[in-house]
Amino acid sequence: MKGVLATDRRGVRELGAEELVGWDEVTHGVVLNSFETELENVAHIPPEERPYSDFSSYTATVASWRVIKPVYNRDICIDCQNCWVWCPDTSIISRDKQMLGIDYDHCKGCGVCVEVCPTNPKSLLMFAEAEDPETALSQWPEKKKKEKK
Amino acid sequence: MAEKMELNDVEVWDGNYAAAQALRQAQVDVVAAYPITPSTPIVENYGAFVANGYIDGEFVMVESEHGAMSTCVGAAAAGGRVATATSSQGFLLMVEVLYQASGMRLPIVLNVVNRALASPLNVRGDHGDMYAGRDSGWIQLDAFNAQEAYDLNFCAFKIAEDINVRLPAMVHQDGFLTSHTAQNVSPLSDDEAYAFIGDYKPVEEMLDFSKAVTYGAQTEEDWHYEHKAKQHRALMDSYVVIDRVFEEFKQKTGREYKRVESYLMEDAEVAIVALGSTVETAIQAAQELRDNEGLKAGVVAPRCFRPFPFNEIRDALADVKAVAVLDRSCPMGAMGALFNEVSAAMYTTPSRPLITNFIYGLGGRDFSLEDAKHIFREQKGHADVGYITTHIQQFSGLRGPKLGFYETKRSK
Amino acid sequence: MAITSIKNLKEFSTVNERFEGAHLLCPGCAHSMIVRELMNATDDNLVIASATGCLEVCTAVYPYTSWDTSWIHIGFENAASAATGAEAMYKARKRKGTLKDPDAPVKFVAFGGDGATYDIGFQWLSGAVERGHDFTYICLDNENYANTGGQRSSSTPIGAHTSTAQAGRVSYGKKQKKKDMVAIMAAHGAPYVAQLAPNKWKIMAKGFQKALETEGPCFINTVSACTTEWKFDPKDTIHITDLATDTLMFPIYEIIDGHELNILYRPKNVIPVEEYLAAQGRYKHLFKPENRHVIEQIQKEIDAKWEYLQRREEARV
Repeated sequence: MKGVLATDRRGVRELGAEELVGWDEVTHGVVLNSFETELENVAHIPPEERPYSDFSSYTATVASWRVIKPVYNRDICIDCQNCWVWCPDTSIISRDKQMLGIDYDHCKGCGVCVEVCPTNPKSLLMFAEAEDPETALSQWPEKKKKEKK
Repeated sequence: MAEKMELNDVEVWDGNYAAAQALRQAQVDVVAAYPITPSTPIVENYGAFVANGYIDGEFVMVESEHGAMSTCVGAAAAGGRVATATSSQGFLLMVEVLYQASGMRLPIVLNVVNRALASPLNVRGDHGDMYAGRDSGWIQLDAFNAQEAYDLNFCAFKIAEDINVRLPAMVHQDGFLTSHTAQNVSPLSDDEAYAFIGDYKPVEEMLDFSKAVTYGAQTEEDWHYEHKAKQHRALMDSYVVIDRVFEEFKQKTGREYKRVESYLMEDAEVAIVALGSTVETAIQAAQELRDNEGLKAGVVAPRCFRPFPFNEIRDALADVKAVAVLDRSCPMGAMGALFNEVSAAMYTTPSRPLITNFIYGLGGRDFSLEDAKHIFREQKGHADVGYITTHIQQFSGLRGPKLGFYETKRSK
Repeated sequence: MAITSIKNLKEFSTVNERFEGAHLLCPGCAHSMIVRELMNATDDNLVIASATGCLEVCTAVYPYTSWDTSWIHIGFENAASAATGAEAMYKARKRKGTLKDPDAPVKFVAFGGDGATYDIGFQWLSGAVERGHDFTYICLDNENYANTGGQRSSSTPIGAHTSTAQAGRVSYGKKQKKKDMVAIMAAHGAPYVAQLAPNKWKIMAKGFQKALETEGPCFINTVSACTTEWKFDPKDTIHITDLATDTLMFPIYEIIDGHELNILYRPKNVIPVEEYLAAQGRYKHLFKPENRHVIEQIQKEIDAKWEYLQRREEARV
């Protein structure tokens, strides 16, 4: 199973943990710049190569919102990208048409990805937040037989 | 390319036309506007310039004043020069967005042709709308005649767009009395006018796609206060740039502007403080009283209503004994706003002159030479006995039983 | 314009996202599914205006922004003015040659909830569309003022419970019908108007691309299932949206140039509306015997609307 892409800047701070600066240091006109440096053609640059500034929510984490989490099983996944298209939190990491895993810094544990997963058994399942991924994978259900109508 | 317009050394323009010409010469990128009496001719004349090829920018006639200022904000955040005009109810409809423009530090120029506020509906000039903008975070410059309405537009663009200011600015003129009265105006040539304000320099523009920029973020109790304080500081400190721009304008045109104008004040014993076209009436009254009655009367007029020229008011009134502060807006349950601000400034001086408040001219009620003279004479009376002998707040030119509020508690 | 390939989901998934996580929208919120899809449908530069509402208040809370594009929020009512003001400035500066990169492709987009679109910003939107600006307005229609805790809007359907049109002993919830915003925008003569839903991702992406490509003002009403105020489990957002489109509560169609109506999705099996209503807490009270008539009324109106849409489509007028 491939790991989640290593990205130093992603989810490094809890929301609200940022430094509270004085009136002389807040930004001009309440403006926020998403990147530290100039960046042309953002749509052609993958997130892990972007110079996100501290103002980008990419650098923040909402992991603490979760009580349950999706666990991803690469062995069953067919890379259909259903989970990618419907994730409300930009938390399904897909590169080169492959599902690589879940961005646990930004995932809120809504469970939509599991619901829209078409494989049998599902390649994504919800587990308790504290559950160890290896244990979760070891508990994966078998293929379900079609119910007779 | 926009056609240039040949202008005479002296033109006969009313205040509205003068303002429209200034907007044309400033080569504004976007004017988004909605018509309302008495500022409509600014927009109409601008429309005529558009129709005849004198404008390169966009002219967006929107569906309301709120839409006008909202469109101005979107346009200004996109990194270009933006202006519009309004009056009265239209101004009130804009108020929500005025705060948003200044909070985002967008240097929009708004021509406000001052008009009374309903109810009851009235199209004539008073300063109700001007006062409604006084906490909105805009620079407010006040023109007393058509020439000044023209000149102050150029100053407004240059001040607002200065990198050390970056705040929106209003240029006020009195509805009808200034906006519809044809007067001699000495214009600049198109080239001179544009050279004075120069090209617009974008700051944090939304159309520079190499810098993703977010405008209008939410701030709650942990951030809002600091942002507001920073904005207040910028407005308070903008006087440095205002003074510099007025000086540069004087170098260019010979016409001098100060944040507080003083007339006949060198040896004045009593003074009137007023805004708008009333200033010219008060000056004439003071001169006649000096000539005919030996009354040492003078006039002090804030050219700049925001930032309020606290120090310059103190300097201007340091040596007078009695002052009448005239408010052309009904304060509704308080003393007039200009009175309050002048009083606060003078309270911190050793002289602490006797200060009274006159409400006058509401809904375009005429303010005559005789009205002004009466006020001066009354101040002289206060000065002579050393205390305020009348109500502190009085009403000038009002029919019916005499109306007044509060008496002095300083020793008689 | 440069559009992203939406031939299939695998191709679509190769885009580089410009809407970041750690925004504050509720888990399972459809708003961000729709916003992501719009932003992913093109690789042009975007200037986005958002009305005050859930999307705005959850994606730009100082000192964080979730937007990797130019973005502006002014107020509740004026997102259309903000977007079209920027569009006017673009035209002026392009003509005058003052843009930093005059050849960079750009699209102007405004987002508003149904409160911002159907109610408080109705006039601003109407004005912007009438003036013919080149922009796309997308309504994230969750049928209530969700950001302020679920009050009625003119988009709230009849029978729904909201905090200001409550269901109670003597009330079945909102008494008035949902405003037909799509018809109103089509009546403006806008070149492209559509109603789309995120469960039908390809139809929605196609519609977004069509709107972005079309010169002039385009309006899209998107169904945005609201887990908090519609009262369903966050995991069920797409399931609920499936019910919305397959009961025809939200028919998926487009209107071109104000008249040419095309139905974009025909459910193979049309589901009775009762199933859609039963899946959401906001309609729970309709299942009491005394309120059953409202369900019947809703079904009747859905049938009539579907009949109307089909006849309009067939008539080619």
